[in-house]
Amino acid sequence: MRLELQKITKQFPGVLANDRISISVDKGQVLGLLGENGAGKTTLMNILSGLYRPDSGKILIDGKERIFRDPAQAIDAGIGMVHQHFMLVPVFDVTESVVLGNEPTKGPLGSFDRATARAQVVELSKKHGLHVDPDAKIESLPVGVRQRVEILKALYRKSDILVLDEPSAVLTPQETEELFEIIRGLARGGTSVIFITHKLNEVIAVADKITVLRRGAVAGETTPKKATAAKLAEMMVGREVQLTVSRSKSKVAEPILQVKGLNVLNDAGGLAVNNATFEVRSGEILAVAGVQGNGQTELVEALTGLRLVDSGTVVLEKKPLHAGSPREIAMAGVAHIPEDRNRDGMVKGMTIAENYILNTYHLPQYSKSGLLNRKAIAAATEQAVKDFDIRTPSISTDIASLSGGNQQKVIVAREFSRNVRLVIAAQPTRGLDVGSIEYIHRRIVEQRDAGAAVLIVSTELDEVLALGDRVAVMYEGRIVGILDAKEATRERVGLLMGGITK
Amino acid sequence: MRKKKPVAAARAKTTTAAPAKRSTSVGDGADAQQQLIASRVRAGLFALFTLLSLAITSGSVGVEGKFAFWVDKVGGTDVAFSVPVVLLWAAVTVGFGAMAALQLVRGASFRWRLAIGLVSPVLVFALLARLLDGTTANLTVFFTSTLLYTVPVGIGALAGIIAERSGFLNIAVEGKLLFGAMIGSIASSITGIAIAGPIAGAIFGALVSLFLAWLGIRYKVDQIIAGTVINIGALGVTTFAYLRILQPYSEFNRPIGITPIQIPFLSDIPVIGPILFSLSPYFYIAVGLVLFFTYMIYRTRWGLRLRAAGEQPNAAGTVGIDVVKLRYRAMLVAGLLAGFAGSYIALSGTGGFGVNTSAGKGFIALAAVIFGAWNPVYAFGAALIFGMTSAATTLLSGLGVSLPPQILLSMPYIVTIIVVAGLIGRVRAPASAGRPYDQG
Repeated sequence: MRLELQKITKQFPGVLANDRISISVDKGQVLGLLGENGAGKTTLMNILSGLYRPDSGKILIDGKERIFRDPAQAIDAGIGMVHQHFMLVPVFDVTESVVLGNEPTKGPLGSFDRATARAQVVELSKKHGLHVDPDAKIESLPVGVRQRVEILKALYRKSDILVLDEPSAVLTPQETEELFEIIRGLARGGTSVIFITHKLNEVIAVADKITVLRRGAVAGETTPKKATAAKLAEMMVGREVQLTVSRSKSKVAEPILQVKGLNVLNDAGGLAVNNATFEVRSGEILAVAGVQGNGQTELVEALTGLRLVDSGTVVLEKKPLHAGSPREIAMAGVAHIPEDRNRDGMVKGMTIAENYILNTYHLPQYSKSGLLNRKAIAAATEQAVKDFDIRTPSISTDIASLSGGNQQKVIVAREFSRNVRLVIAAQPTRGLDVGSIEYIHRRIVEQRDAGAAVLIVSTELDEVLALGDRVAVMYEGRIVGILDAKEATRERVGLLMGGITK
Repeated sequence: MRKKKPVAAARAKTTTAAPAKRSTSVGDGADAQQQLIASRVRAGLFALFTLLSLAITSGSVGVEGKFAFWVDKVGGTDVAFSVPVVLLWAAVTVGFGAMAALQLVRGASFRWRLAIGLVSPVLVFALLARLLDGTTANLTVFFTSTLLYTVPVGIGALAGIIAERSGFLNIAVEGKLLFGAMIGSIASSITGIAIAGPIAGAIFGALVSLFLAWLGIRYKVDQIIAGTVINIGALGVTTFAYLRILQPYSEFNRPIGITPIQIPFLSDIPVIGPILFSLSPYFYIAVGLVLFFTYMIYRTRWGLRLRAAGEQPNAAGTVGIDVVKLRYRAMLVAGLLAGFAGSYIALSGTGGFGVNTSAGKGFIALAAVIFGAWNPVYAFGAALIFGMTSAATTLLSGLGVSLPPQILLSMPYIVTIIVVAGLIGRVRAPASAGRPYDQG
């Protein structure tokens, strides 16, 4: 089926999320929908799936206008969604998950006809080469398989148009390649696919046609043959972008952070970090790669004092830190850019100045006998706003009103305002626009060049490969390999991310 | 109950590097480890009980436990028998000992709920016999009052389960019981028709339930707060109505009672007939409802969607299930059930409605929901155990045995707290119970 969206507009309070967006996809075609976070991709998708209704504009399927009042109508029209956050019930099994909403029944009470449902799921997965165990519980399945269940859900509903929202975010490169194979197979079979992503290489690899969104509007259309990554990035951002971080060779000196046999438990009491041993030296960036949820969060929390260390040692320049409080660790020269800036990085509702001194307010230059020295704080913050190019009306603005990129700059400015020996940056560019990403990367590299040790944790392989002088890979809590930048190819790191060490 | 993985549990226990070929995910291991801890705590508790009952056994030598049954009908000829209390306690000791051993050996795969279900009746008898200390107790009365106490608690628990399986926390069961009791009594008194009571009670319960659902779904009022407000409000309103209307105009509070029925043939069975087959029709309806809804929840499309909405409403919403409508309907059913259960209290007890006549049965019902792990049959079983403690209290105080009744009456709550704390075994609530559903 051919799907066409004509001049879709959706206004939210204060934001024009979709501004006359027109896109189309033909039968058997793969459309890559490219855009940064906040470009309006998700809103457009929610309109297409019947969750939102557009303020104006039309949805045409095979030339006929359709109006979706709720998700059921979109499904009936043949649109199948694979959401970024999977829409699966953890305690259900695969069969139940696939047929939920269109269950085969028998008898007067509407008894669930499990046998028929199971047979349908088995047949469907065979037909499309999507291998899953129909009786497995969802919660016991790895993410890659859960995604296959999501695709099966769409196919079970006879979707002719399959929409995938950031489908590779939780996959290893190999799993992503498998997903591409599945997408190509479906397209050959006549399914139209809309592939939503912010990763340039992926659209080039899998799409037949590329539409780029920027700030809620279509910024351009092209094909993978004509496009290059640089051109696409330019369309996405609206100006020329440096995709690779320019940096000199690292001048590695003595080890600054030494971690030995570190074990850390997760909230449920399970082993999240399993016997981690590594060191980070002055003047180098150690990038930790891994699919989300393999212990990286717990590792960072343990190193920064936010989580108790179960056993093992953490030493910063001969000073043991594994029993230190967050403040002791910060004062020892550790800068922490947290993974979730909304939760751990700032206090919304407080001003930029207050956020700037969040972990140094107790120092004599900012407070005396419990009273804050407002003048000194204001002066320091003004300087930081200038130095870090933080776009804000004033330093007494609520930090919540800044853009994500500027919020992150406040955090980076704060963390780099102390004497920095070690930088721990977890997902430092998540959800930021390309411009801010460039800026944050440059600042981190500057710290390295000034002689600090840098530990970056990222699930974006591109970021890891661009920044890491060495690359460590975490899988199920263990560090399964540490590679030099030369050896760290996409393939090798990808295999390690999947736990394959040979 | 959760999937058990004793092997994974053992692996996760080792804190050093545990190279596992087919390693489970981090979360899984933690889960298994927690289950292992819980099963050890259970084993320890059972061992403790074994020692306790052993001590009581040795102190019970020579005491006779005297029991009696009515053979043909309630209040008819009785047959008495006596058992040495030592024997009962010896059985309890053996039972607990076996549970402790099995729990330790089999770990998380041991079906401890079932074991508790098997040992508790013996334990109650042993306790009774020990406390009675030679006085004769009529067991027919004990059993029937156990079963009857189970009616409002069991149906109330069912109301809780259906609501919470859909994702709505039903704290207000107690309030609905009270309203159901009062409205049931009034309707029956005015119309002079017995059946009008339960019907009116159920309808009013449904209205209260829909009001609660409206607050929680439409306005996203915190479901615990809204439920608590309804409970407090129900007590206030019904007390006021009782004092101002039902007391001065007592013709509104003289319902046609719903009397026990004799099931043909079955009620003639000696001993069992008077206990099981001469009860209030409410009891048979309650059993029927529990079986019916167990089937509905686990075996039908309705149940599949209900559970999906309570676990992961977005998963249901994105495949076109109208989660909001589904929750309203679940709350409607829950209200009908709770109001119906409430009418029982006024119509088959002492006759009519009284101040706070539900006396916390709605809260015990919520305890049964948790103890029964959101499964109607288990919850009914829990209600039976709670009913037994209540019947035992009544029996003992009737026979003049001095024992602070609060001790036995507080048992359900203590057990619930232990269960909720996850110490003796984890129960998993529907993941989204209590969370408002936000589309998109």
